[in-house]
Amino acid sequence: MAPIIEFRNITKRFAGTIALNKVSFGIEEGEIHCLCGENGAGKSTLINLCGGVFTPTEGEILVSGSPVHINSIQKSEKLGFAIVHQEVPLCLNMSIAHNIFMGSAESKKGIFLDERHMNEKTGELMAMFHMNVEPTELLERLSIAEQSIVQIARAVYFKPKFLILDEPTAALTNDQRSVMFDVVRRLVRENHTTVLYVSHRLEEVMELGDRFTVLKDGCFVATKNVRDVTMDDIVTMMVGRKIDKSEWGKTYKTDEILLSVKGLTRRRKFQDVSFELRRGEILGLSGFVGAGRTEVLSSIFGADRLDAGEVRIKGVKVDIRSPQQAIGHGISMIPENRRDDGLITTMSIRQNAQLTLMKQISRFGFISGKSTDGLMQHQIEQYHIKAANTDDGILTLSGGNQQKIVIAKWIGNKPEILLCDEPTRGIDVGAKAEVYSILRSIAAQGIGVVMVSSELPELLALCDRIIVMHEGKVTGEVDRENATEELIMKYAAAI
Amino acid sequence: MKTKKLKITSAREFGVLVVLILITIAMSVATPVFLSKTNLVNVVRQCVEIGIMSIGMTFLIINGDMDLSIGSSFAVCAMIGGSLFKYELCSPTAAFFAVLLIGALLGAVNGVLVSRVGIPSFIVTLGTMKIYRSISYAISGGTSVSVFPPSATNSWVWKLGAKIDGFPAQIFIMLALFILAHIVLKKTTYGYKLYATGGNPKAAGLSGINTRNVKLAAFVIQGVCCAIASLISLAYLNSVTTTSGEGREMDAIAAVVLGGAALSGGRGTIIGSFIGVIIMGIVKNGMVLMSVPVFWQDGFIGLVVILAVFVDTMIHSKEKR
Repeated sequence: MAPIIEFRNITKRFAGTIALNKVSFGIEEGEIHCLCGENGAGKSTLINLCGGVFTPTEGEILVSGSPVHINSIQKSEKLGFAIVHQEVPLCLNMSIAHNIFMGSAESKKGIFLDERHMNEKTGELMAMFHMNVEPTELLERLSIAEQSIVQIARAVYFKPKFLILDEPTAALTNDQRSVMFDVVRRLVRENHTTVLYVSHRLEEVMELGDRFTVLKDGCFVATKNVRDVTMDDIVTMMVGRKIDKSEWGKTYKTDEILLSVKGLTRRRKFQDVSFELRRGEILGLSGFVGAGRTEVLSSIFGADRLDAGEVRIKGVKVDIRSPQQAIGHGISMIPENRRDDGLITTMSIRQNAQLTLMKQISRFGFISGKSTDGLMQHQIEQYHIKAANTDDGILTLSGGNQQKIVIAKWIGNKPEILLCDEPTRGIDVGAKAEVYSILRSIAAQGIGVVMVSSELPELLALCDRIIVMHEGKVTGEVDRENATEELIMKYAAAI
Repeated sequence: MKTKKLKITSAREFGVLVVLILITIAMSVATPVFLSKTNLVNVVRQCVEIGIMSIGMTFLIINGDMDLSIGSSFAVCAMIGGSLFKYELCSPTAAFFAVLLIGALLGAVNGVLVSRVGIPSFIVTLGTMKIYRSISYAISGGTSVSVFPPSATNSWVWKLGAKIDGFPAQIFIMLALFILAHIVLKKTTYGYKLYATGGNPKAAGLSGINTRNVKLAAFVIQGVCCAIASLISLAYLNSVTTTSGEGREMDAIAAVVLGGAALSGGRGTIIGSFIGVIIMGIVKNGMVLMSVPVFWQDGFIGLVVILAVFVDTMIHSKEKR
């Protein structure tokens, strides 16, 4: 069978770098084809070529056997592509229904909006995704997970010929994810939709995919049947090496209590949260999205207000009302949402990396060029940051390298306590392993780490202790020795 | 690494620079008088008021704010200064610093309302534009202030409006302020914080930057810029009217935007703003030289603003693809 989409010798060059290098492979009609590769492997570029955001420098794309020139988003839609991007491009100030039908002819009757039709269809669609929300609800009132479901629902509703999903599950819970998988499978079954699925989570590739293609550093590695390989095989193909797991399970925990919180409460977010963090300890905070984990961290950090409870640092009671004060007390926080809270996208790589480190690079308020060069060099080496030119915009980096910049910025000011919220969200296996080893080395230096994560394997691999939350309350605490995924899930679901 | 840095900064201002060169060529072909020394000095001198005020505006726009009240702040400063000098209420030096302080205060009022109360700067300064204008009317009782006593005109403050070796002193003051502002934006931690706050206030705040103080300081800087401009104007014109400074806010915003700053914040440079100011000055001057009917002069400036930003947008969208 001839492939329905074929990439032939695709090369895409950006100023100075090659994002894709002579990539050729085909996708067959009605299959779920997974695209794997580390950050910077060229997956996003390939998707953007299908979406008409970029045009290839060399090579051609064939759809149904004939070459096509996709030079605009409209052209891409006309060919039948629907793309769900990693970052949610929706209008937060509008309702779910209006977002779903944005730009569609179905949204109107004559010159008037057909609210009833839109709301009815949106209601059905939301039910299909097991979402219990009103179609008229404003998007900004939904959680990030729900927003990404709306985005997926929008693509699915119009029954595209080709559906491209770029990391659609990054924010989803396991339940939401399996519902989404069912919907995608049904779409394939009933409409012969061809799916190109990009994910860092290899278990999803194993669960959902028919075939997969691996890219590495912009080059094609292989296309194979999913049932012929194991997850480890894919990892080896992606990174070209085995991931070292020997370090897992090491502990640097001491007896000295660094941080103790008692009865922390923030109305409608979390109640009566208490825990202690010791020097060198990595403490996990688990639970479903919306359990209040993120809010606990940002309240300790002074970004959100606490309604009740006390925070002690090394036994001394502190009253932290702003991030500046938290930093003054030796606390750093790596926020959950890299793009919105972690980075300043108008600034360069270097400026982002040194934003919290002004004291180190300046004297009397003046920035010393020599100090920033020295510090940048140090940061690049210490965190293995891959950047062509640190004066380029931060968004020229891949997700994993962006995250390393965020980490570098926060660890550089030598905190005693590091709060991190989903530190490996949306980054690839190789970069994840690097983040793990960075976190471990931080603990080894005697820093206490509190880490929120939705990925259980990573909590189990890193944490000395895991606290589990459910709907704003602590429902359980497990030590490393007793921690299993099943136990944590039980606490998280409060069964 | 150093050379690459240079390339990026020049790319940012490349669009406006091209426009400046094209306009200069066009003007010198159209009217030979344009390139004469007297005329060129005159062009730059006429840019001084807007130029100094656009420095503060650059800070604000990088920060994602703007200030519509600068024309009125200018008038209040000039009125108070004028009165102090005219009625010899204090020594000229004291009057000079009093005016700077008033400017800082007017800016601080805007800054507090924006950064502490959280009202958008457009609304706040739209309001204070009206309020400050009323204050300037009230101070003078609606008349202009002119004819100053020798204690003022012989003081060092009046040297601001004088000439040094045939060059107006105010040109040097403006250039010095532009250089100072450039250093502040590019070389100090305050500049760093300003760009960060404008680019993403939330991330900047989480990074431990006191974004409210950064914003407040930018408004105070703008106020002081208005005060300096008003003192120069006072010394140069020997008079101030209640309507002085009207419409200056739009000229300053136009110049800064011409210079490549984004109203969404995070982007903009002093060099760009300087070029923007000079372009506006040349266009105004050229129209007078070519005796363009007065009715069309403002319209033509509007056209130049849109054209220049268009060129800049074209260059940048090309870069992205």
